[in-house]
Amino acid sequence: MNVGVDSSLKGDSMAEDNRLIFFWGRECPHCAKLHPVVNEVSQELGGSITELEVWHSEENATLMRSYKDVLLEACGGSLGVPSLYNEKTKKALCGKNITKQEIVEWAQE
Amino acid sequence: MTKEEMVKKKLWRCNVCNDIHYGIRGPVICPTCGARNAFALIDYPEAMKVIIDRGDRLDEVDKLLDLWEKFTHDKPFKLNPDEDFVRQLAKGELANEANHGLKYCPCRITTGDFEDDLDLICPCNFFIQPVYKESGECWCGLFVKR
Ligand code: SF4
Repeated sequence: MNVGVDSSLKGDSMAEDNRLIFFWGRECPHCAKLHPVVNEVSQELGGSITELEVWHSEENATLMRSYKDVLLEACGGSLGVPSLYNEKTKKALCGKNITKQEIVEWAQE
Repeated sequence: MTKEEMVKKKLWRCNVCNDIHYGIRGPVICPTCGARNAFALIDYPEAMKVIIDRGDRLDEVDKLLDLWEKFTHDKPFKLNPDEDFVRQLAKGELANEANHGLKYCPCRITTGDFEDDLDLICPCNFFIQPVYKESGECWCGLFVKR
């Protein structure tokens, strides 16, 4: 019984986590290019985008993998970086051609 | 290649020139010496001894650039002409090799399943990527259609 209660509580707390996440890799050139754009949008929206590096943090990589259903679709079949995941809307942007406009719209949805 | 097929892969040795092949069956014609029907099964520890480590390593940016350039010969794609970008990508792959053991694509992350992640070794089989079909570039943009 308890196990069921625990896991549903965990599920609820995950669902209440409404972060806007930028997944990036230190060795990825496209991430480096997009980084200042994400920072700009984040500043404009009051510092609301959480940046998580995924090639040097297993914890961040595990979190990114947990969103694989959405990310695989957004990235065309693999767990691509740079990518942005909105925990509230469960919508993602992925890849080297993400524009500032798209990030603003994704963040404000 | 499916996981079921991967499991069927074995090591084979050419009994004429000691070529080693890793696959479901040995090649009919040895790609190195041309001998026919010369491949016999060999086990992993013995094969590792047959492959003599002469210290060659693909561990520098220039070596990767050279390997990629050669890989594009007679292919419908070429290396991205932006050399700075290509060098940055090479550095990223070398860092991935140092930190994670293989030259994984820096523009994606591993799934955590070692066999699945073999698909992320660069150069990957990018022909199957939707992005290559649509835009003519591999996911990272390292290789672009001619
Ligand atoms: S997407 Fe391009 S850079 Fe990435 S592994 Fe494949 S070929 Fe290499």
